[in-house]
Amino acid sequence: MNKQFPRVVLAVLCFFAFAFAINAQVGSYAITNAKIVTVSGAVIENGTVVIRNGLIESVGAGVKAPSDAKIFDGKGMTVYPGLFDADTSLGIPSQPAGAPGGGGQRGQTAGDDSNSNYADGLRPETMAASKLKAGDSQISAHRNAGFTTALTVDNSGIFNGQSAVINLAGDSVSEMIIRSPFAQHVTFTTLRGSYPGSLLGTFAALRQMFLDAKRHDELLKMYAKDPRGMKRPGADASLEALIPVVNGEQPVVFTANTEREIIRALDLAKEFKLKALISGGQESWKVADRLKADNIAVLLSLDFPKRTLSESKDAEPETLETLRLRAEVPKNPARLKAAGVRFAFHSGELKNMKDYFANAREAVENGLSEGDAVRAMTLTAAEILGVDNTLGSIEKGKIANLVLVKGGLLDKDASVAYVFVDGKEFEQPKKPEKPAGGANAGGAAPRVAGTWNLTIDVPGQSVASTLTLEQSAQTLTGTLSSDMFPATPIRDGKTTPTGFTFSVTVNVGGSDIPVAFDGRVTGNEVEGTIDTPQGPVAFRGTRVP
Amino acid sequence: MKNHLKAILIGISLLALLCGSALAQNTGETLIKNATVLTAARGTLENTDVLISNGKIARIGKNLRAPNAVVIDATGKYLVPGIIDCHSHAMLDAINEGSLAVTSMVRTRDVLDPTDMTIYRALAGGVTTLNLLHGSANPIGGQNTVVKLKWGHPLEDYVFENAPPGIKFALGENVKRSNFTPQPGQSRRYPATRMGTMEVIRDAFVRARDYKKKWDDFRAGRTKVPPRRDIELEPLVEVLEGKRLVHAHGYRSDEHLNLMLIADEFGFKVATLQHGLEAYKIAPEIAKFGTGVSIFVDYWGYKLEAYDTIPYNAYILWKNGVVVSINSDSGERIRRLNLDAAKTMKYGGVPEEEALKMITLNPAKQLGVDKWTGSIEVGKDADVAIWSGHPFSPFSYVEETLVDGEVLFDRAKDIARRSELKAERERLEKLEANLPPNKRGKKDDKKGGKDENPEATPDPSKGGNKR
Repeated sequence: MNKQFPRVVLAVLCFFAFAFAINAQVGSYAITNAKIVTVSGAVIENGTVVIRNGLIESVGAGVKAPSDAKIFDGKGMTVYPGLFDADTSLGIPSQPAGAPGGGGQRGQTAGDDSNSNYADGLRPETMAASKLKAGDSQISAHRNAGFTTALTVDNSGIFNGQSAVINLAGDSVSEMIIRSPFAQHVTFTTLRGSYPGSLLGTFAALRQMFLDAKRHDELLKMYAKDPRGMKRPGADASLEALIPVVNGEQPVVFTANTEREIIRALDLAKEFKLKALISGGQESWKVADRLKADNIAVLLSLDFPKRTLSESKDAEPETLETLRLRAEVPKNPARLKAAGVRFAFHSGELKNMKDYFANAREAVENGLSEGDAVRAMTLTAAEILGVDNTLGSIEKGKIANLVLVKGGLLDKDASVAYVFVDGKEFEQPKKPEKPAGGANAGGAAPRVAGTWNLTIDVPGQSVASTLTLEQSAQTLTGTLSSDMFPATPIRDGKTTPTGFTFSVTVNVGGSDIPVAFDGRVTGNEVEGTIDTPQGPVAFRGTRVP
Repeated sequence: MKNHLKAILIGISLLALLCGSALAQNTGETLIKNATVLTAARGTLENTDVLISNGKIARIGKNLRAPNAVVIDATGKYLVPGIIDCHSHAMLDAINEGSLAVTSMVRTRDVLDPTDMTIYRALAGGVTTLNLLHGSANPIGGQNTVVKLKWGHPLEDYVFENAPPGIKFALGENVKRSNFTPQPGQSRRYPATRMGTMEVIRDAFVRARDYKKKWDDFRAGRTKVPPRRDIELEPLVEVLEGKRLVHAHGYRSDEHLNLMLIADEFGFKVATLQHGLEAYKIAPEIAKFGTGVSIFVDYWGYKLEAYDTIPYNAYILWKNGVVVSINSDSGERIRRLNLDAAKTMKYGGVPEEEALKMITLNPAKQLGVDKWTGSIEVGKDADVAIWSGHPFSPFSYVEETLVDGEVLFDRAKDIARRSELKAERERLEKLEANLPPNKRGKKDDKKGGKDENPEATPDPSKGGNKR
């Protein structure tokens, strides 16, 4: 009791200080008259959930609300277990994008205090839990959408580091963490200006590090057994972090979307006997048999591909493969289910969680049962992340992570009324009135003018380029230049509520390539996608102050 | 929305049926009747039948009978060995690991894309086998992959399992980065000269020799702790042991000669000189080393080191007893290697069969796969193409291409399928997810999807060619 006291004081202070929750307190609550989707058991058409001290005290049709509980009348509402977002970077501050050509700052010893012998970007020892910041605005936005739990990890580098399962509320990082580390995360990307600078090198670098980790483990064991006459194995944080990976103890989440990316991940996992998971999984139905046979779960992105390129007479028509893919991806969840592959949903690159639910509905329209869709957001996610003992369903004794929805979660007009995380109540903030008119009518246009140093991630390499923007209200003019093509004026430049869009046709090696930029600006940082005839590529950059 | 889905489903099942019927031919026997067979090994056979069984060439003769076989009437047509391109970068999601001077640890096998449309276009040009090479950014590049063009098959089916492993080397301007401007702050990579290039190669083999000795010592029990496995040096040890073929990009004769001397010093043989625009100057020396040359017939002048060549290069090398092949190094020229081979008859007068060998049996020999492919002989894989006329005529085209006995390109079916694909595209373009952003979310607006559909009639074979 004594120990609890200062904590409560701190908590209260924090709430006043940050006010990131409208009305949050820990106590006892009862949600009555609600439909309860327990996920683990049958749906209770009209029942009560009692929450006390952060846990679910009781649940059922005949349960009575205790006299000391704050009552929520759940009439017309449905209670679900708090939703999981099964692969995110929530709460992890994004790293400042290195200015292109900034002089090898991403080289061997990039300002780190690690005893690793490997390049920045190949650092499996990085822990999401130690980068995590509590009270991030994205966390509250996610929570308001009904999410209470997330898998989170930095998304930079080839080895992204070790992820953590976190609750999306808490005044300190230690309160948020449910499980850390969960897994090592790997992205098949490249390092800028150093090895590996291409996808070819990425695989070789991974292979060499897995071999090195195995040997390190072997040498440490030999040395522990009999150090005499043997050279002392050096300490290396990166290799030490990989030992549980190569021993099959810690899972590896490979970000892989296309069929061939998934196959590459599975081949690598097979070669080194890794315990693999796939994240993204856009074309995973094409590999469903193998995923099933190897018992590999998919953290499936609900970021379904949609055309982002606006109409242009100059542009070549999109490939049939691209058109087909957009038609097929919404069928993927139902196909994985039919094939017996386990999957949990995550939001991928989606910025607006409305799209997450719209896409989940699309998955249901394409054959996934609503129950399975909800399960992929709750209990299956908890199982895959190894936290189903305490989370993922509405059961007595589990952590009181709940979401209370007007209507049903996947109804078109569903709205989240309350979210409970660790038994804390979060009321939905009032939505600002929507301004009438078009998308750009509301609010002033963001200021995006200036000179931007961009890095464009074309497959296999990074291209540095410079964008100069001049702004007049919502209209943009300017030029794009790079080593690969001369300065070229942009077309159709305009601001969006979050950044800018424009088209440009660059001449690379004698051929004209029409592309369209869509950038989201945050201060002097920008990131976004470029639609190219070969498909979308990512770019990021900084504004020259 | 429902109707769209239904239409798409019907479209997909039709496609599946089409594909299915094509695949069905693989199960039994195929009898190609009455063709003019260019064997690329034993001359030309008129009015000849070829029986394919289990993916292999089972019999060659007149009036062959096989009651259960699928019969292809090739009267008036030519049956030609599948073309082999000894230098290609098709199917690769990444071509160069240019960050280091020695990147023997990287493998093109890791980055194959079996959906690259270049594959299908190559099949349409009668090509059945490719040597997928790393680029030429560094003295010692990555490991190559020999593939058969098993279009529509899973990735692992492409890999030519019997092909010995190989590796790309490169010399000259690309390696010393003559035409490369470092970005601000980026340093120039060593080597920057031709002598530096040779030093890098010699140094790598000295390191490989030391590495091999470390392991030999450990295996013989002379050391206690196992050496670190080094995937950079392992392939170079294989080169020293003669187990891995070296394909060396280069233009100038002095450099290629230099490399063959270094190889001799370390006790191995260079398998092929790639490009070798000046190889005619050192033809006797190349013949003495037993090295092959894989060239362009009449393509030059695109950089300084690529000027001093002649279209008689192939002829002179052949005359000196060098095994010569003609490669494309291009997703475009790959479709008409037949015409490049024909040019060697014009420039110098290479005999017809020898010219054909330069795109079939000779590259097979250079890649160590001539036991299985490269000519029409009993027992070899049925990698063949049926041409409408002699493949050296610019008026001829490929009607069908078979890989391991399976028809993977069929011109008639391709043409028949185009209207299907066009209809499929029209259906798909109306799908919500395929509408431009400003037209989405207007489902109720009946006009929304109909006006201003992209007017272009797409080429059905248009795909994700990356170069």
